[in-house]
Amino acid sequence: MSTVLAIDTSTSQTCVALVENGKVLFNKSHLDPLAHGEILPKLVAQALKLNSKIDLVAVGMGPGPFTGLRVGITFAQSYALAASINWVGVCSLDAMAANIGEKDFIVSTDARRKERYWARYKNGIQITEPAVSKGIELEKFGVKIFEEGKYFPEAVAIANLGLNSSSVTEPIYIRKPDAYPLPDGVKFRAMSALDLVSAVGIEKDVYGKAAWSSAQFKEEFAKAPKNANYLAAEVDGELVGYAGIYFAADVADIHTITVVENHRRKGIGRELLKRMIDWARVKTADAIMLEMRLGNDQARPLYEHYGFVEISKRENYYGPGLTAVVMRKELK
Amino acid sequence: MALVLGIETSCDETAVGIVDDHKLLANVISSSVDQHVRFGGVVPEVASRAHLEAMQQVIKQALTDASVSIKDIDAIAVTAGPGLIGALLVGVSSASALALALDKPLYGVNHLSAHIAVDQLNNSDQLHPAIALLVSGGHSSILQVNNLATDVIVKGATIDDAAGEAFDKIARLMGLGFPGGPLIDKEALKGNKTEINFPRGLTAPGDLENHRYDFSFSGLKTAVARYLAQTPNYKKADVAASFQEAVVDVLINKSLTACKESGIDKLIIAGGVAANHRLRELAKQRCESAKIQFRIPPANLCTDNGAMVAALGSLAINEGVAASEIGISADSAAPVTQVVWK
Repeated sequence: MSTVLAIDTSTSQTCVALVENGKVLFNKSHLDPLAHGEILPKLVAQALKLNSKIDLVAVGMGPGPFTGLRVGITFAQSYALAASINWVGVCSLDAMAANIGEKDFIVSTDARRKERYWARYKNGIQITEPAVSKGIELEKFGVKIFEEGKYFPEAVAIANLGLNSSSVTEPIYIRKPDAYPLPDGVKFRAMSALDLVSAVGIEKDVYGKAAWSSAQFKEEFAKAPKNANYLAAEVDGELVGYAGIYFAADVADIHTITVVENHRRKGIGRELLKRMIDWARVKTADAIMLEMRLGNDQARPLYEHYGFVEISKRENYYGPGLTAVVMRKELK
Repeated sequence: MALVLGIETSCDETAVGIVDDHKLLANVISSSVDQHVRFGGVVPEVASRAHLEAMQQVIKQALTDASVSIKDIDAIAVTAGPGLIGALLVGVSSASALALALDKPLYGVNHLSAHIAVDQLNNSDQLHPAIALLVSGGHSSILQVNNLATDVIVKGATIDDAAGEAFDKIARLMGLGFPGGPLIDKEALKGNKTEINFPRGLTAPGDLENHRYDFSFSGLKTAVARYLAQTPNYKKADVAASFQEAVVDVLINKSLTACKESGIDKLIIAGGVAANHRLRELAKQRCESAKIQFRIPPANLCTDNGAMVAALGSLAINEGVAASEIGISADSAAPVTQVVWK
């Protein structure tokens, strides 16, 4: 006699099944990517009315969006602890592949940020480890792709795999937490008139003819703190970077993010950008805009990572032949 | 008498406490604070992963410490808000599973009220009515507690930064590290608190009219930042002590005003910042001279823990409050007036 309570919260769906000696007593799912926490206990409570004597809890370990994924895993582990029974973890993509009768195929689920979690299967066996990629990359394999929406990791398949395969003990996150260490030895503080001499020097080195003058900086500082925020980054007392943002009505505008050549790629620009975004949020801006020079766009991936999207180009913005790329990030 | 297990995961501490009515039996805390130091603040995803990793072990350790079996537990209490949503969900899901597996009631409770409820551990004096000053990394408010389980009124709150936040920011400005509260507290012990006269927020006559019980720390923060920028060889200890005095002075004065004006002669100070030495010392002195009964939990129970959640669950049971329904929603922005989830 064995009764398995099976759970999966790795996709936008919450699935619960109760399987008693191969017989499915309960099998329900609910589609809502933001409600795993509320739905899971309700479905389990319904299942327990049919049989509350559980022998094993099986749970999908992902990959999947982190917050929902953890709901299922922590629930399964705690249930097992309280009932003094075992729990077993299953790769959720395996459960999704279990009901597909193709010879060679890929299953993929929504990883958000326009990416997919996926794994490839041949003759029923997973031949590539779960990974995360852009959807277009998956098409290159030239095999059929089964996507979340029409297919889901079925809880009944989780139960069957839980009984028969070796346990996955850790959540399958794949992606690292979206966090970066503060750059070492760098001090961030408000920018002031005392920085002007250094800042104007950096401007000339970095931007040449388009450099800001001391007067332009002063004009910007005059709007702070109400409508502008200028931050400086220093290493051993020396100015190595700065950033400034302006906000008056609905949209905040990042006016500059500048880091001197030999201190780039250390995360200083990232930290300055994050602080600019934070400030705009505090000011309850609807969106943030910035311009960067076409051809001088090493920072573009950084901006894209933080949700900036190109909305237009402005020709001759920085002088004859110098085009600006305009990017925008929505905050609302 | 009820055996209540409380779970707390609203920020970076995975904590489980077990109480038997007023008696504290276990209080186990696993903190991920070390993992956040290099980021200069709590990173929600890092905290949430750490909660999932630690949860089962912390529950087991609490049961061992209390010398009880999970089957003996009469009710589960859990912080359902406010806090980081991903972090809260780990605790709420775990607690829901325990309640369902054990077939015992679940109480989703407010993290802030729980900080006050911890006063009831190993103490059976009537808690309310009282004025409560709640000060932590995310909150600074003055509450009128008519009944902690059912009737809490917000008299005032910070209009910008929380007190704990101000400590973090000033510590960062001086390069002391993170978290700022304990580091400033320690640094201040070596300094002169009257060396620099930093501003007391919202104490001007006009402000006292419109923001009688409210706090503001952003002006103070700017004043300290300006002082640091203009004083090349400043003494960290003096700045820490003077800054801390400015914060503590306003917190206590406004709380005592609230006591007097509401005719309530009891002040409870709770929340993470209540662990601050100077706040404890000065509040005690001023309450004595104002003839106000003063209560403050032991410093180790002021920071986030599971025992406080269990204590509030226990209080809710004693006050006859109904248990929460199955499938409660974690609420990252729950107001302090929402004490027990329906």
